Amino acid sequence: MANPVPSACCVVLAAVVVVYAQRHSQQDSHIQYERVGADVTMKCGSMDWDAAVTWTANGTDIDDSHLNGSYLILKNVDLTQSGQYSCYEGSSWHLKYQTYLRVGVPPKEPVLMCRSNNYPKGFYCSWHLPSPTYIPNSFNISVIHGTREMVCEKDIFPKNRCHIRYLQLFSTVKYKVTLTVTNALGKNSTTLTFDEFAIVKPDPPESVVAKPVPNNPRRLEVSWQNPSSWPDPESFPLKFFLRYRPLILDQWQHVELSDGTSHTITDAYAGKEYIIQVAAKDNDIGTWSDWSVAVHATPWTEEPKHLTTEVQITGETLTQHKHPALRSPGYGGPQH
Amino acid sequence: MAAADTPSATLRHHDLCSRGIRLARKMRSDVSDLLDIYVERQGLDASISVAAVDGVPAAAAERWAEQTGTQRLLDNLAAYRAFRTLLAQMLEEQREQLGDADAELGPALAAVLLQVSAFAYHLEELLELESRGAPTEEGSEPPAPPRLSLFEQKLRGLGVLRELAQWAVRSVRDLRQLAKHGPGSGMALGLLESQ
Repeated sequence: MANPVPSACCVVLAAVVVVYAQRHSQQDSHIQYERVGADVTMKCGSMDWDAAVTWTANGTDIDDSHLNGSYLILKNVDLTQSGQYSCYEGSSWHLKYQTYLRVGVPPKEPVLMCRSNNYPKGFYCSWHLPSPTYIPNSFNISVIHGTREMVCEKDIFPKNRCHIRYLQLFSTVKYKVTLTVTNALGKNSTTLTFDEFAIVKPDPPESVVAKPVPNNPRRLEVSWQNPSSWPDPESFPLKFFLRYRPLILDQWQHVELSDGTSHTITDAYAGKEYIIQVAAKDNDIGTWSDWSVAVHATPWTEEPKHLTTEVQITGETLTQHKHPALRSPGYGGPQH
Repeated sequence: MAAADTPSATLRHHDLCSRGIRLARKMRSDVSDLLDIYVERQGLDASISVAAVDGVPAAAAERWAEQTGTQRLLDNLAAYRAFRTLLAQMLEEQREQLGDADAELGPALAAVLLQVSAFAYHLEELLELESRGAPTEEGSEPPAPPRLSLFEQKLRGLGVLRELAQWAVRSVRDLRQLAKHGPGSGMALGLLESQ
């Protein structure tokens, strides 16, 4: 037969644990949001005004100068005053009230951007707040196309982004996207209106490679790939814009290419290191991508010949062989 | 469909598609310029919204990627035949309103009307190659334009040109799909991942 005494102890112990957990979970879950600059008054639970209490902030006793009776008064609160506030009854030190004070601000108008980098599949919208609120915010986005409300599926990462699949193509009806941000202290919103073509902007070209051309001191061969996010470059071909300059100059040269993913630069300055970038755009609609990652390359140069000097004094004839790098202008392009 | 399968038919198909793409792109550019002129001459705000206009074929397409080549051609042909009529009406209205005083809008409208007619003819050739033949145009007389106020006429004209600009872009895409898949295919073409 089981001994009843240990069982009874377990039951009592369990009950104490439950009560303790409930009390602390209720108090721990209380959060109070206040605006920066506000005056905050905290009551010590159900204690009378004239009860003797002690308040703590994050475990540190609060000076009586902040008390009005048993009420805690915080004037013109700032961000540093966020924390856990607890109120204990006089001499017994029973916890009577606890709250987590979070000082923050209502949200400013959010910044919203929508873009299609995978046309004609769909587009995405992303957003952020221009300044922090210091308290949790929730975002709600609505997308209307004509009379139809469309679903913007939230991305897992980044979390301030969602994407929409196009249900129609070539529509003249504009899309209207409204983002509302809400927190405990207020709300704000912004709206974007645009048509299907205007937001098409591919990602930059990928895998840009630039190589010298053997035996060609003024050429560089550049190749790249369509951005992997562009779903169907065969049906929706991209055109490209290439820019290049020697490192020692500020001015770019530009070339627009209506097809193909390679180009040979034929007017490079001999022996100079170049920086090269490529951008992409749908052939017919939208805007140019950002520039690709920059690549560097130097055109082929002839191996320097062994330095020789022949001086032949034959009347007025004087012949010298100079190092290629010291040759006069006219070889390999303009000097600078 | 035997004619559509020959190498010469394939070459002709490719040639017609390529030329059609060039025509459509030129048309789009000219329609864009015409829109600027139209808005200015008619005293309209370029950003004004215009509701869908009756009788103007909408370029918007659901499940565009799943259309067959033949369907693309038929939709395009019906649209450009309608635009041919609409632009002719606009030209007539413009002449009545502005007469000889307007040296810019009238010629620009006439030029685009010519391109639309040429493009419609081009589409008919493509359909012939598909061995489908172009459908006949219903009725010998175009429908009479609706009776509208002057302002309503201007807005309608704006709607027509905007939709035509959209069609020009769509036509480039349609012809690319056609070129990609060759002549004589009535199967579902241009299957992208489902939209």
